Amino acid sequence: MLFVPVTLCMVVVVATIKSVSFYTQNDGQRLIYTPFPEDAVTLGQRALNSVMNAGIMITVIIVMTLVLVLLYKYRCYKVIQGWLFLSSLLLLFFFSYIYLKEVFKTYNVAIDYFTLAIIVWNFGVVGMMCIHWKGPLRLQQAYLIMISALMALVFIKYLPEWTAWLILAVISVYDLLAVLCPKGPLRILVETAQERNEPIFPALIYSSTMVWLVNMADTEWPPKRNSTEAAAPPPQPEEAPEDVASPPALSRDDGGFSSNWVNSQEHQLGPLQTTEDTRREIQEMPSDRPPVEDDDDDEERGVKLGLGDFIFYSMLVGKASATASGDWNTTLACFVAILIGLCLTLLLLAIFKKALPALPISIFFGLVFYFATDNLVQPFMDRLALHQFYI
Amino acid sequence: MNLERVPNEEKLGLCRKYYLAGFAFLPFLWLVNVVWFFKEAFLKPVYTEQLQIQTYVKRSGLGLLFWVTVLTTWITIFQHYRAEWGEVGDYLSFTIPLGIP
Repeated sequence: MLFVPVTLCMVVVVATIKSVSFYTQNDGQRLIYTPFPEDAVTLGQRALNSVMNAGIMITVIIVMTLVLVLLYKYRCYKVIQGWLFLSSLLLLFFFSYIYLKEVFKTYNVAIDYFTLAIIVWNFGVVGMMCIHWKGPLRLQQAYLIMISALMALVFIKYLPEWTAWLILAVISVYDLLAVLCPKGPLRILVETAQERNEPIFPALIYSSTMVWLVNMADTEWPPKRNSTEAAAPPPQPEEAPEDVASPPALSRDDGGFSSNWVNSQEHQLGPLQTTEDTRREIQEMPSDRPPVEDDDDDEERGVKLGLGDFIFYSMLVGKASATASGDWNTTLACFVAILIGLCLTLLLLAIFKKALPALPISIFFGLVFYFATDNLVQPFMDRLALHQFYI
Repeated sequence: MNLERVPNEEKLGLCRKYYLAGFAFLPFLWLVNVVWFFKEAFLKPVYTEQLQIQTYVKRSGLGLLFWVTVLTTWITIFQHYRAEWGEVGDYLSFTIPLGIP
């Protein structure tokens, strides 16, 4: 059931890339995180530049993750909440404004300021309400998909070629390490949350169902939980009578946490903000609800995926559609690869029942398929078509 | 969030808040209100707060209708007369189509 949102996100990104040329134009502007240009003369110089770019980006991500873990550890929840609030504000208003502008330009439609203001204002405010407060589940999911797509588009536009591929590879490795190694920051985060018996502070997480927490009335449960939680063994007995199995699941739900770094690139204005990179860990929620909750079965099986995973999957597919010589072949191949990777990850999740990084397998498959299709399959197909040879 | 497990007073409170917030130039919020609470207001067996929820949904619907008419009229006027207004038209435009006078 995670396939639909992931597919939707990728479809949105690919559709935009194909139709709105803005996102594939190289304006010469770069993110402050990737200061080295890739239009160097020699291949070696270019490779070096992209490696350094990727290095800087990864360092930024690691630093952000550590900051987040520290903030969480020292209970500075307000800071984290404020940071998330600001970054979603930026995404919902500024990036969607730019997106709308480019779409209207592409389709040569005249829009006046008044209508545009109403549209952006409505979109942004309702989005903030749905994501940070209470709103219909479907709408919230739709908004999360949209902001992931917007973020992925920004990355596609502003990361130079080789840097982007390198970053994808490096971040999958980092995800793997951070989640699985005993000293990894995310693992520490998860364990801290478990010790405190509280839900991991929800980074931007997509949740396929909304779990209603009976005893969470006093805390704001941000509905954006998209991490499949591993079914941890049943918690303390006092949680047993609870209506929803989410409290038990929540106490073990740290896998849902993905480190977020939001990179807001104020490329046009100059100021730099950090964006969160949400890594996703996938865990499945256990269906160990007490029998009273028969009607909550769908809620129990909520699957969650971090928004960072959405962003990177879509970024991979978007880049493939933007820059591949094989065009739709390559795009489809990457798409299939990512879904297969997602399947495998969910499978592993069901086996291991703990927080797992969602990026490595899919991204690895995606990258392999991309380079293989682009360099091997496509010329093969072209030759066949050229000689009208059908197999 | 799932409305199923929310107590009635909270549903009423939520509906009311959405209704009031919609006055801040937010017809989309009214639309969400109407769609989300429609079933609650009209298709569920009666409960105490249902009447009030119905009023809010109806009022949100009216507000939405009002906004839709206003916006449609404005957009039609703008699209039709934009070229003729010359400078004012350009000043009001966010994007100006190429090639069409």
